[in-house]
Amino acid sequence: MLNIAITIAAVLMCLSLMLNLWRLFKGPSRPDRILALDTMYINSIALIILFGIFSRTTLYFEAALLIAMLGFVSTAAMCKYILRGDLIE
Amino acid sequence: MEVIYAFCVGLLAACGFFLVLRGRTFIVVMGLTLLSYAVNLFLFASGRLTLNGAAVLGQSAQYSDPLPQALVLTAIVIGFAMTAFLVILAMRSRADQGNDHVDGQIPVRPVSPSLLDKRNG
Amino acid sequence: MNLLWVVLLPLIGTLVPLFTERFGRNICAFCVALLPAWSLILVLMYAPDIFNGQAIRQTIEWIPAIGLEVSFRLDGLSLLFLLLILGIGLLVILYARYYLSLKDSMSRFYVYLMLFMAAMVGIVTSNNLIQLWMFWELTSISSFLLISFWSHKSEARKGARMALTVTGAGGLALLAGLLLIGRIVGSYDLDTVLASSDIIHAHAAYPVALILVLLGAFTKSAQFPFHFWLPHAMAAPTPVSAYLHSATMVKAGIFLMARFYPVLAGTDLWFIIVSLTGLTTLLLGAYIALFKHDLKGLLAYSTISHLGLITLLLGLNSPLAAVAAIFHIINHATFKASLFMAAGIIDHESGSRDMRQLNGLWQYMPYTATLAIVAALAMAGVPLLNGFLSKEMFFAETLNQSVLGSLSWTIPLLAVIGAAFSVAYSLRFIHDVFFNGQPVDLPKTPQEPPRYVRIPVEILVALCLLVGIFPAFVVGDLLHIASFAVLDHTVPVHNLAIWHGLNLPLLMSFMAMVGGVILYYNRRHLFEFQSHFDTTDAKHIFERTIQSLVKAAESITNTLENGSLQRYVFTLLLCTLVMGGLPLIELTQNSGTRASIPLDGVTIVCALLMIFSAVATVIWHRRRFLALIFLSVVGLIVSLTFAKFSAPDLALTQLSVEIVTIILLLLALFFLPQSSLKESSNRRLSVDLLVAGLIGCVIGTLCYAMLTTPLNTMSDFFIANSKTGGGGTNVVNVILVDFRGFDTLGEIIVLGIAALGIFKLIANMRIAIPARDDKGRAWSNDPHPMMLEVVSQSLLPLALLVSAYIFLRGHNMPGGGFIAGLITSVAIIQQYIAHGVQWIKPRVTIDYQWIIASGILIATATGLGSWLFGQAFLSTWFDYFSLPWIGKFELASAMLFDLGVYLTVVGAVMLILANLGKLTTSERLDIQENN
Repeated sequence: MLNIAITIAAVLMCLSLMLNLWRLFKGPSRPDRILALDTMYINSIALIILFGIFSRTTLYFEAALLIAMLGFVSTAAMCKYILRGDLIE
Repeated sequence: MEVIYAFCVGLLAACGFFLVLRGRTFIVVMGLTLLSYAVNLFLFASGRLTLNGAAVLGQSAQYSDPLPQALVLTAIVIGFAMTAFLVILAMRSRADQGNDHVDGQIPVRPVSPSLLDKRNG
Repeated sequence: MNLLWVVLLPLIGTLVPLFTERFGRNICAFCVALLPAWSLILVLMYAPDIFNGQAIRQTIEWIPAIGLEVSFRLDGLSLLFLLLILGIGLLVILYARYYLSLKDSMSRFYVYLMLFMAAMVGIVTSNNLIQLWMFWELTSISSFLLISFWSHKSEARKGARMALTVTGAGGLALLAGLLLIGRIVGSYDLDTVLASSDIIHAHAAYPVALILVLLGAFTKSAQFPFHFWLPHAMAAPTPVSAYLHSATMVKAGIFLMARFYPVLAGTDLWFIIVSLTGLTTLLLGAYIALFKHDLKGLLAYSTISHLGLITLLLGLNSPLAAVAAIFHIINHATFKASLFMAAGIIDHESGSRDMRQLNGLWQYMPYTATLAIVAALAMAGVPLLNGFLSKEMFFAETLNQSVLGSLSWTIPLLAVIGAAFSVAYSLRFIHDVFFNGQPVDLPKTPQEPPRYVRIPVEILVALCLLVGIFPAFVVGDLLHIASFAVLDHTVPVHNLAIWHGLNLPLLMSFMAMVGGVILYYNRRHLFEFQSHFDTTDAKHIFERTIQSLVKAAESITNTLENGSLQRYVFTLLLCTLVMGGLPLIELTQNSGTRASIPLDGVTIVCALLMIFSAVATVIWHRRRFLALIFLSVVGLIVSLTFAKFSAPDLALTQLSVEIVTIILLLLALFFLPQSSLKESSNRRLSVDLLVAGLIGCVIGTLCYAMLTTPLNTMSDFFIANSKTGGGGTNVVNVILVDFRGFDTLGEIIVLGIAALGIFKLIANMRIAIPARDDKGRAWSNDPHPMMLEVVSQSLLPLALLVSAYIFLRGHNMPGGGFIAGLITSVAIIQQYIAHGVQWIKPRVTIDYQWIIASGILIATATGLGSWLFGQAFLSTWFDYFSLPWIGKFELASAMLFDLGVYLTVVGAVMLILANLGKLTTSERLDIQENN
């Protein structure tokens, strides 16, 4: 039962990742693309968690934690860049 | 799985080399980053691919090869230091020479001065 | 007593002039002479043992593990040369005291001279081939310095350069030859080599080794066709010419041939090369000497001719000829050194060396003239003088050979012709300079020189006479032991006497005398004959050759190195493709027997994401920000790949490095053009695509072949010992901080060095800041949005907590110092981004360099700490403890090491990013340069 749920979830996540990629290609503006990247980070968190549940291991959950934390930093840095150009001032 | 892994490594390497062959510093640095992805994946592959076998004792039935992982781990960090060095070198070269060419050419068109703020220049 | 001191004393003597110059020229010269004199006394104290047929050896071990040692030996041949080098050296020191004018730096001259003397002493006493070669090169260098002593003169510089080039090139050949001999024999020990004559003769590489060694000897001893440097070396001060270019350095080549006579001579090849070279040099030198108007030029060519004579004797492969050669070494050194000194006196007192100006000096300086005439007669080979004796032996030996078959009679004939020319130029030296009318336009009126400057000449001329009249008594023993050493302990019967009865050699001497007089009498016709020839100066040919070599090298360099990175990389890739790709074509299959893992949908989607993003990075590489976003997608997928294939540590590292890299590139991108125009032609693009694609194919194929080959790894050891030996269950981390801890130490040091290099590059950087973005829009007015500030600030403790957690569990679960350090840096960087430098400045007061330094120090101290417990460097220790509330926990020294790693990573990353960020602020990094 769990495996079926995981499979369905994984398919949906993959679909959304592909859609993220589509938005990344299409744009049209820079914020669109940054948002697409940010969503991609979030979807990959889901993917890792799913993979962990599927494999019955908790070893990869820290990777998800890290993506959650650092993905934010990356997005924030990119936003700062398009706003001010200069990250650290 | 192996086929697609090998294909991705080859593709990353090809993209990296293509970018390294361009004539501007920033693009070369991006090419080197792609290349270091490819190299790290390649080195990692020397331990072969294992599913569900993290080299943590007691967590898996069969362990993946930890040695290439240890090597790649330091390679990633050192790779960052080298990338940083190149980036700063690129900036320094632009600061001192006024252009970011690495193709031995004199820049075709100088940067328009109106776009530059000389508050530190 | 110590053999080493014989070499060391002159070497220490190089320092003496520096300290004694201030006390005046006399004291300086006196002190300089002290050490070689002491060295000479040491040698003389050894002499009785040597005369008893012993050889003295001394070996000092240097690096015994690889067989390196400093080794000296003193035998008859060395003794003979040491007496020449140190004895004549002392005379030259005295002579130079009066020769050098007040304008010349006396101390500099003496320093060079002593350096040269030490090098020569080193050559003749070395008992090791490599050591011998070292001293050999040192003579080339010191001779360069001495020839160019008057460096304001162009001819001195050119002459010195030429001498260095020729002898230096010969030195390289000699090195190759000596290495080859060492390989053949299996030892560089001279004793062993000299005892291995049969092995060397029988070896297939003997001809090569012989030719290489002879190249070294011939260049040094100015043998044809390398003779041309010696006349140009006459630009040196005359004491140098007397010492280096007649008595000692040019004899080093002769010494080398004599030293290796037991192992290299005795074959037809030796005979043909050595004797023919010697004969040619003998004739050529004697002939040209006659036409030289310059006193020193005449003497230089005469030296070449006499060196040729000695070489010829050594080449005859007969023991008696070798004895004659050694005898002539002594004789030539004495009369030629005195002649040079006399020439120097004449030059000094009359201001000219041109024999067309110098005439009739007898009436101005009769005493000097007498000395010079006696020496010149010795050079001509007149009876009752030493030159006569060795020349007679030479004639006798030319008669005793039959090596050219039925043409062997030509060698004595040519020898007589050479000797006749020798008589002729000696006569010219005597007659033109001291008689033959009155001086023509001399710069100053000649007069007798100071008393002391004549002493060296007097001593040497006295020696010429003594040897000439009482040969057996004066040099008999010395000659015997020197021959004893050269001829491998069998000295043929020879009779040193003035009168051997009426025989063919005497007749030949007589013929040479008469011939020489006739030649000189008819010199006008000879000069006229010679003037028809186009005399090209060797210097011009040499300079032209050098120039064209330099031009060729420059054009090759400029062709290969045009400043374009693209070209270098392209060449590199092509080579890689050829060397890495071609062997793959010959392989019939590219997969191994390892079972492959079945594909799944998620992997395919991730692979597609990676492929599209990588290609998009390439397609949009000129729109740099866009390319950067795609690049970060690739990085994300790479870390997912690591997670998927059981490498959680790598996934964590890759993720954090990914973020740090993006921040770095964004920081840099601000200062660089945002986009670039299309610069490469389509043709160029397609060629690059093709090459990059092919390389990618090669790498992919290799990767696939590797992935499908069954694994044979040493990691089982690490897995088995990780818990028991390293105290941790995360094998990757245990490898990093324990098993391969030394590697990791090296890596964090590299990291620290890279960061410091960047620090220096950032310092004082002045770079233009764009006032608008690439679309021409103004930047936002709000540098620190409030939302970002608040969220970031609350992130900091969380991130530090995660970082501490990752660090602490690193030994047993995925994590560790590298990852924790990266997380900490990202958290701090986020504060920089959100709050700006001014906000951070009062809160973080420590310099990041110190963090790097403390990290490396902690890691190293952990390693060194194991020494306290008698363990090897970086041995680890761990144990388990328990505390109330916390329970059982583990403490390991590896954790301390990991702390060092952590600090270094934090320091390095922060040093790079924070200083880069500060470039646009008032806190920018500026270092005051002292210069």
